Amino acid sequence: MDDATGVPEPAAPRPAAAGAAAAGEPAAGDRAATAGEPVGRVLGTADATPLTFWTAVAPDGYLQLDDVVTTTRALPGRDPVSIAGVVTAVRARHEGAQFDSDVFAIAEGMLPAQVQEAAEVTTTRIDPEVYVPPRPGAPVHRATGAARDAALHFDRMSRAVPIGCGRDGQPTYLNADFLDGQRGAHVSISGISGVATKTSFATFLLYSVFRSGVLGADGVNAKALIFNVKGEDLLFLDHPNTRLTPETVQAYTRLGLPAGPFPDVRVYAPPRADSSGTPDVTSRTSGVDSFYWTLAEFCAKRLLPYVFADADDERQQYTMVVHAVTAQLARLAVPAEGGISLDGVRIGAYEALVDHLVDQLSDEDTRASWTGSAVSLGTVNAFARRLIASKRDLGRLIRGDLATRRPHEINTTEGAQVTVVDLHNLPDRAQRFVVGVTLKTEFERKEKAGTAKPLLFVVLDELNKYAPRDGSSPIKEVLLDIAERGRSMGVILVGAQQTASEVERRIVTNSAVRVVGRLDPAEASRPEYGFLPPTARQRVLLARPGTMFVNQPDIPVPLCLEFPFPAWATRHAEAGPPPAATLRSITQRTDPFAVVGSGATAVGDDEIPF
Amino acid sequence: MSWFVDPWNPSHGASFEAGTGPDSRSSADVDLDVELPTGAWNARRAPGDVRAAGAVLLVDGVRRIDATVWTAEPDGGSLPGLAASYAAGIVRCDLRGGTADLVAGEVRRGVFTASPTAGDLVTRHATYTRHRVQRGELEQLPAAVQGPLTALEVAVTGAAADADLVVVDGKLGGREAAATTIGYIKTQHRMYLPPAQAALVARLAAGERTPVFRIGDRWPSLSWYLRLPGPRGGPWAGVVRVECAAALPLPEAVRLADLSQVTLPLLASQAYKDPRAPQNLTPIAGLERRLRRLLGDGRLLHRAMSLAAG
Repeated sequence: MDDATGVPEPAAPRPAAAGAAAAGEPAAGDRAATAGEPVGRVLGTADATPLTFWTAVAPDGYLQLDDVVTTTRALPGRDPVSIAGVVTAVRARHEGAQFDSDVFAIAEGMLPAQVQEAAEVTTTRIDPEVYVPPRPGAPVHRATGAARDAALHFDRMSRAVPIGCGRDGQPTYLNADFLDGQRGAHVSISGISGVATKTSFATFLLYSVFRSGVLGADGVNAKALIFNVKGEDLLFLDHPNTRLTPETVQAYTRLGLPAGPFPDVRVYAPPRADSSGTPDVTSRTSGVDSFYWTLAEFCAKRLLPYVFADADDERQQYTMVVHAVTAQLARLAVPAEGGISLDGVRIGAYEALVDHLVDQLSDEDTRASWTGSAVSLGTVNAFARRLIASKRDLGRLIRGDLATRRPHEINTTEGAQVTVVDLHNLPDRAQRFVVGVTLKTEFERKEKAGTAKPLLFVVLDELNKYAPRDGSSPIKEVLLDIAERGRSMGVILVGAQQTASEVERRIVTNSAVRVVGRLDPAEASRPEYGFLPPTARQRVLLARPGTMFVNQPDIPVPLCLEFPFPAWATRHAEAGPPPAATLRSITQRTDPFAVVGSGATAVGDDEIPF
Repeated sequence: MSWFVDPWNPSHGASFEAGTGPDSRSSADVDLDVELPTGAWNARRAPGDVRAAGAVLLVDGVRRIDATVWTAEPDGGSLPGLAASYAAGIVRCDLRGGTADLVAGEVRRGVFTASPTAGDLVTRHATYTRHRVQRGELEQLPAAVQGPLTALEVAVTGAAADADLVVVDGKLGGREAAATTIGYIKTQHRMYLPPAQAALVARLAAGERTPVFRIGDRWPSLSWYLRLPGPRGGPWAGVVRVECAAALPLPEAVRLADLSQVTLPLLASQAYKDPRAPQNLTPIAGLERRLRRLLGDGRLLHRAMSLAAG
């Protein structure tokens, strides 16, 4: 069956004035002509500056936060300057009242007073760039259509990815240049867990990149690697949402997107500890593959340091031992029927490897060959203690009992468009191991490929856990590498965290796009959110689920937007029928009945493929 | 002996400026036997079935001297003049609906001088229309502004339509008053009542009034004293005199008196908000503030005049 059935055709996914950028800048006068109804006048009792000014709202009009307005300023001997901005504060007061209690006299009809509303406008664009203030008394118009797109710089975006609707119900865009690495990369999403809908926004952003067609072939070929850290809610990305309402479909249509699930998703879950190695998930039963590493891979690929991925581990003495043992394992281990052979000893499980290493280290005769001679016994014991502690957590991920030939590797280049790695029922140490090793592998693969295309989007929640502000660890190094070099290598990090203040600063500052949902009041006042103007800082405390503030480099104020409810299932209860592809087992990754060019554009099973 | 503190701020004088001596007694012909015989005068409470007016119009004007000017006469002499801005307006208080709106507000500017040759004073921001006055001494000029201001008040009152009660700030004077119009006098400069009846005024409780009496001076009127609620700051504290057209039939006048008795106390101001509480009614204070704003910035106008006179 075809999961795309019934999905409406996407509307033209273009900001209204996008064509204008190609056709040359429209004159300021032209834009003023397209401005909407007058809503008030620039007031003169507060300073009007080129960057912010107050507007008195006409008695029969209104302005709300985030409304886009324009005004013009005539200059002698030059073209008029068009000043456009976003409403960042609104207030109403009684003029003529002197005392707080006058309000009662006014409400009882005894004291004449005038209710006057005023709106603070933060300038987003001055065209041409002559930084003069608007004159008090100048009429202010609500910006609609091309004027709104110009005010928000949408007309200058050659590739605009729709990311939601503004408060005025009109689409809001993200400049793809700052997403795909051309001028910037990486997205940082902050917000309180549960209310801020960080993961939903990250997945919606991916959906928009893949389905809007804005990135052209790059968007279609791009891959995504999503780590699912909480619940099983990201395991149904390819299932249609049975609770999709017509309003949601309409919201997608308004953004120029079809409302449907992700077409091409592969889910990896850790294997059960038993010898079957079946994936350990409860709600999703089909289309899930296990991922694990064989002991031989563990030794050959030098994965031991990722077992010690706690942030403070790196400061300890025993890291010398880690690296010495890692090197020794890589040299000595010989693959043997799934497991390995070390010094002639056959080892078939991670627990056995740990026991063998501890034995070797305890023995006076063999210790020096593993650690070198200058290491104290205390350091060796510290290493051994931590190694033993890792047995329980990593035993089921590092296997010697499952067939080597069985596909078990997470590989985004050969897999589906979206790869979901389920970590939610893994202990903390195992989560770090999987994230660290997977990211390192993917990054090295991209390094080897030497080309930025196809893009790889990495969605990682709880970034503060993997790349905390203090300390260092192998996994933090990988993430820093991605943040600093990923832009040129085509690896785009979409990181989410409750508190950006607890994430490594270099990762946050390297993110071109910063997104904020509902924040904790103490967190909102930290300098990491300096891009939020004071009123926005107050508003993020009240942001509802689905409301995000998005800051991108070429728009001077963060845009408040609402993104539509997911069109894919977010839990088992709302999942529609699974797509046909998930019914195939991993051993039949290549469907013998599929025509060439299968995947997202696969011909439905019920159709004749020619 | 006990003391009373007058509620008014001293910079506004006192609400009762009439002395007790015979010289402050009004020479006007006062007829006390109008509502009640002189001997039967007592404090009147409003009948229980009188309800406060639903819509009240309050008329007031403000003025400001913007500059003292001097003319250069062809004969080399110089005459003084006053440049003044004045405004009149109406506030409509809908006490049932709970709205108070400025329904009319007019601003005029004039230069008042006895100079026979002076024309209008034109400045960058405003034009002051010339008003020729008879007596040109500087001390007399401020009084000359009152005439045009009253005329302006009358003009804007004409714009106002239906209301249960129209309150004019000050004496009705010569204006043609409708049957619902009352004059409202905050400051008592003249004592119209003989001592026996004046003592009754001093005894009035809040919301009580004297019987209606007739004053037969240049502009005859029917009048009564009324005490507004407020701190007890002396025998005449909170007392205002209200008047209506003398031509009104007596029952109409008594009805107006009763209506004023229940309506005006609602509008009385609070001592801590208004230096002339309670007599300066809250809507009038608000109206005066609005009108003063309409007058514009005095310093700006003064500068404009200096530049224009150059």
